[in-house]
Amino acid sequence: MQKNKFKKGFVAAVVLALGASALAVPAKAADKEILVWADETRGPNLVKTLAAKSDWVSGYTIKIRTFSSFDALKTAVDAATDLTGPDIIVGANDWVATGAKNGKLAPLTLTAAQKANYTANNFFDLSYKGKLYGIPLDINNVAMIYNENLVSKAPKTFGEMVNYYKANKDSKGLVAGLCIAGGGMSWGAHSVFSALGGNAYVMKNGAVDANAKPVSADFVKNVKALLIDPATGKGNGFFPASDTGCKKNFLDGKVPFAVVGNWEWTDYQDAGFYLNLMPVPGVKAGSNGKMFGSVSGALLTSYAAKRGNEAGAKAVLTDFFGSAAGAVAYQKNELRPPANKAAAKGDLLTAQVNFGKASAAAGIPQIGAILNGTTGSKSYWDLLPAFWTAVLTDGKDVATEAGKLNDFLTKNIKAGVADL
Amino acid sequence: MLITKRFSYFAKVILTAIASTILIFFAQSALAQGETQIALFLFIATAAIIITYLTRVSIPLKFFLPGMLFLFAFVLGPVIYTISMSTFQYQTGNYISKPQSIERLLELGVISDENAPSFDVVLGKTSIGKLAILASNSQIKRYFLSTKDEITDLAPSELTLDENGVAQSAPNFTVLNGADRSKLDKEIASTRFKYQGDFFIKLEGLSAGLINQQSLFYDSASDTFKNKLTGATYKDNGRGNYANIDNPSEILQPGWRSPIWFDHYKNLVTDPTIRKPLFKVFVWTFTFAFLTVLTQFALGLLVALTLNKPFFGRRFYRSIFILPYAMPSIMSILIWGGMFDTEFGAINNLFGTNIAWFQNATFARAAVIVVNLWLGFPYFYLVTSGALQAIPSELAEAAAIDGAKPRQIFSRVTLPLLLQIVSPLLVASFAFNFNNFNLIYLLTGGGPTNLLDGEIAGATDILISYTYKIAFGTNIQNLGLASAISVIIFLIVASISLYGIRRSKVLDSFK
Amino acid sequence: MRNWLRTTLWRHVIGLLVTFFAIFPLYLVILSAFSSSGSLEVTSFIPSELSIKNFKVLFTSPTIPYLVWMKNTLVISGLVAILSVIIGASSAFAFSRLRFKGKKMGLQLLLLVQMFPAILALSAVYVIMERVYTFAPKFGLGTQPGLLLVYLGGAMGVNIWLLKGFVDSIPVELDEAAKVDGASEMQTYWQIFIPLAAPVLAVVALLSFIGTFNEFILARLFLVDMNSRTIAVGLQGFIGGQYSQNWGPFAAGSLIASIPIVIIFLSLQKYIISGLTAGSVKG
Repeated sequence: MQKNKFKKGFVAAVVLALGASALAVPAKAADKEILVWADETRGPNLVKTLAAKSDWVSGYTIKIRTFSSFDALKTAVDAATDLTGPDIIVGANDWVATGAKNGKLAPLTLTAAQKANYTANNFFDLSYKGKLYGIPLDINNVAMIYNENLVSKAPKTFGEMVNYYKANKDSKGLVAGLCIAGGGMSWGAHSVFSALGGNAYVMKNGAVDANAKPVSADFVKNVKALLIDPATGKGNGFFPASDTGCKKNFLDGKVPFAVVGNWEWTDYQDAGFYLNLMPVPGVKAGSNGKMFGSVSGALLTSYAAKRGNEAGAKAVLTDFFGSAAGAVAYQKNELRPPANKAAAKGDLLTAQVNFGKASAAAGIPQIGAILNGTTGSKSYWDLLPAFWTAVLTDGKDVATEAGKLNDFLTKNIKAGVADL
Repeated sequence: MLITKRFSYFAKVILTAIASTILIFFAQSALAQGETQIALFLFIATAAIIITYLTRVSIPLKFFLPGMLFLFAFVLGPVIYTISMSTFQYQTGNYISKPQSIERLLELGVISDENAPSFDVVLGKTSIGKLAILASNSQIKRYFLSTKDEITDLAPSELTLDENGVAQSAPNFTVLNGADRSKLDKEIASTRFKYQGDFFIKLEGLSAGLINQQSLFYDSASDTFKNKLTGATYKDNGRGNYANIDNPSEILQPGWRSPIWFDHYKNLVTDPTIRKPLFKVFVWTFTFAFLTVLTQFALGLLVALTLNKPFFGRRFYRSIFILPYAMPSIMSILIWGGMFDTEFGAINNLFGTNIAWFQNATFARAAVIVVNLWLGFPYFYLVTSGALQAIPSELAEAAAIDGAKPRQIFSRVTLPLLLQIVSPLLVASFAFNFNNFNLIYLLTGGGPTNLLDGEIAGATDILISYTYKIAFGTNIQNLGLASAISVIIFLIVASISLYGIRRSKVLDSFK
Repeated sequence: MRNWLRTTLWRHVIGLLVTFFAIFPLYLVILSAFSSSGSLEVTSFIPSELSIKNFKVLFTSPTIPYLVWMKNTLVISGLVAILSVIIGASSAFAFSRLRFKGKKMGLQLLLLVQMFPAILALSAVYVIMERVYTFAPKFGLGTQPGLLLVYLGGAMGVNIWLLKGFVDSIPVELDEAAKVDGASEMQTYWQIFIPLAAPVLAVVALLSFIGTFNEFILARLFLVDMNSRTIAVGLQGFIGGQYSQNWGPFAAGSLIASIPIVIIFLSLQKYIISGLTAGSVKG
């Protein structure tokens, strides 16, 4: 009996003592930190930039969190809520519409002076229903490069490239004529799609032309004449339906023309290629295939306000991401063309400037509300690769498939324009 | 014995005390951060630990409690959450709660006046300590001091201007430094500084102010939004959005998660755009799981029969055949993905073919089965060779004496017995492959999808990967519908497994 | 000779064919790990070069902390393995030996809960851990301890069959003898059951280790910092990247990571097989 009492007393004493000590510890306060989420390439480059100069907005520190991949970043953004969401997301422009609809992004308004630093196209990309959700950061685009050991001068028309391929295919051991080395079969391949007469949408006076037909009758004719082998009804080998191995083949000298992305041009330079960047030539001399000259943006989240960081986050957006000095400092590491006009005139490398020029010559904005097909239910991103496969690999009828593609794209444009 | 007993008793008390201390510590931190649900869970967990380990209320619970706590927190909790999500309109555009949505709409209802001038501002406090801005526009030469209540115009002569003509200081105005501004961030961002009439100045960052007005107003009594500029009225449409009463298709974004009870389940059956692709995926999921189990078992059995007699090289083969099973599957799947590449893949190279494996529905399905065969046949080889040894050899011998041929012995005696032994494993494998997300996600991503013909689901999509696409895909993310499909998948897999368990009579040992 | 043909030749024919099937992808991994081209392209099945470039990248590149990933994987998978064995073994013991109401029901429920498609629970787990982060930043979202906690959610149920089957096979007389000696249930568990169960516990630990090693969906969501990743997440990044597929380092990294597992697996073969027949599934 005595022993039991002792035991109980001991238990009570230990539990109470430890319990009390636990209750006494106060919860700690958070620091004033602007949290930025970025992907695996932009994150480290931002960290590098901020290591050189960190005091962009006095009273705040900028903290970068790098995600293992673009997909991982997107997954995290999808899952983020008020509690641990970031203040700023460095992300793709096509996240804007979804983010705004889900209440994850918050609008910001720029002064006229700040606006003057960007083109209207840049804002198009980052806006939804008339509100701007971020600062344009860098231009994402592609350009065509040709191997000067094979081709002596820049091609003027699409047909010229096809003829070169047909004539030299066997003698030079070519595995393809033109392939997509950067950006994939929908984003990167838009320039080829457009060179042949197709478009995700047609721009007219700085706005989407809701009445223009995305896939023209000429497109069917051009694909049949230039890409299809009449004997088999399938692709003639000039333009592969898949982008795998394109970069390697180009570097190995087995493909004369390639569409390359502006984020990896150093690989081509390092391999000894001259960066003769140009838009994909159209079927008629003097015309060009339009490419997505889209911007990635530093997007403001609605979490910033919840965390009591909204004013600071907006200041980081305008004074760091949106300032010429900030953009130049960052692009010294990121090596893409900056969206900021003043920064584009700054101290940049030739390739950065040339990619910027190609985008200015043949760039169209990337409008997520149309391309993602959220309301039309099929996205451009999935449709175009499906078209290439159907026509080039499976040998389906070009006119029928192009007709279907046209129907979907038209639906997306109608729905997207209404949603903008 | 007594010493160890007393020692173990004290050890138990101290361990319990430490565990409960840590939990109470976190519980009160959670409470301090307003996480009442988690705090409650932690408090209950603490109480459960103390009661279980310091009294003799229930001895089984002493063994179960740690596992149960984790199970409740990270398995059961999410399961209940998923089930409840399936009764909500929860998708892109309907993502946040209703109060959050109202808050966002009010903020989006602030319209900036494009043509009005903008101001460079300096943040500070008035002599009575109110937050104020010193605003300048050097082009129109306008300078003023504004708080949320009043605006005072100032003459340039009263101010200190910098080289750009921006006022830096004014009488009765103390400029805030960086640290002070960051402390007041919330107030700075939310204050509407007085301008004139309905117009106010809102800061964009810390140094620019723009003229705005509120266009959208909320009336909580009638739960409606009114747009002052267009005169439109928006009412809750019962599906998670405020819709224009004159034009119901015009809705305000963002909407909220709205309870719609069993609509998702109803739509699975009644809405052809949901039902048709789902049915296709459903059929393929069964086919896939069935073919997988069949091929894995068949090859496993063949190998087991081949190696069931001692011969030179048996040990070598045995070690080799286990390799696919020992190799971490995530890496094997990714490597197989590379091998099936059209242009560079080893498969096309080896056979001299030029097949676009993952672009063609039939080939992609075949590839998925082949890869899964590779991943899984060693398992069935191992279990069937174990089971073959467990079958008494007297049976086969007796049959042989009766004049049966080896083939007959196999099909009439060995195989039925074998099937009886491994049937619970076949069922378990079927249930596992029914939800084999990693394989599909990493190998084909569910593709190819014949989009141009209007298909939504890919040819190799199984229910779980299709659900993932619906919930987290690039297009519309419909978490509510995906949750409803998950519940259905659960019901199917659970019934299959229960059937398997009942058949295998594993539970009979409990009698 | 004819007899040899009849009884053994066919075994070799099948054996060699299956060997080819089983080994082909593994051979390719080795081939591309030692090739310098960085692709999984096969120009010839006979290695033309023996480059260690890919291995060098793994161990010297400042942007690829391979050794840190390795360490993370060992720590996380190791801890999960040990803790799940502790949790799983005690549950199995209770299910097998103790008498209590609703035992059959409990075991069935435990199994069924595991059948729920966990992919969708992803967002729920995310929300929970995000909340934990607000008051315990070391255990919340984005941390290794947080991921560990989530993994332990499955510890009780995953290998319960295997463990319970084993406990059932330990003669009841042993516990009864202990009971006569005055041992409590806890003592019986620690002093009699645990030592007897050591080999099967090792197998369960190994299976759980491999299962955790292979898990990448939660890990990818949780471990965002380069230096906190596991091997699976890190290596997947080589070929699942936004812009490029880097097969060389992937193959080299996979090779190094798999060798220890394959060796342990082969050496514990005997036990694993006995475990498999009891119905466990490798993740």
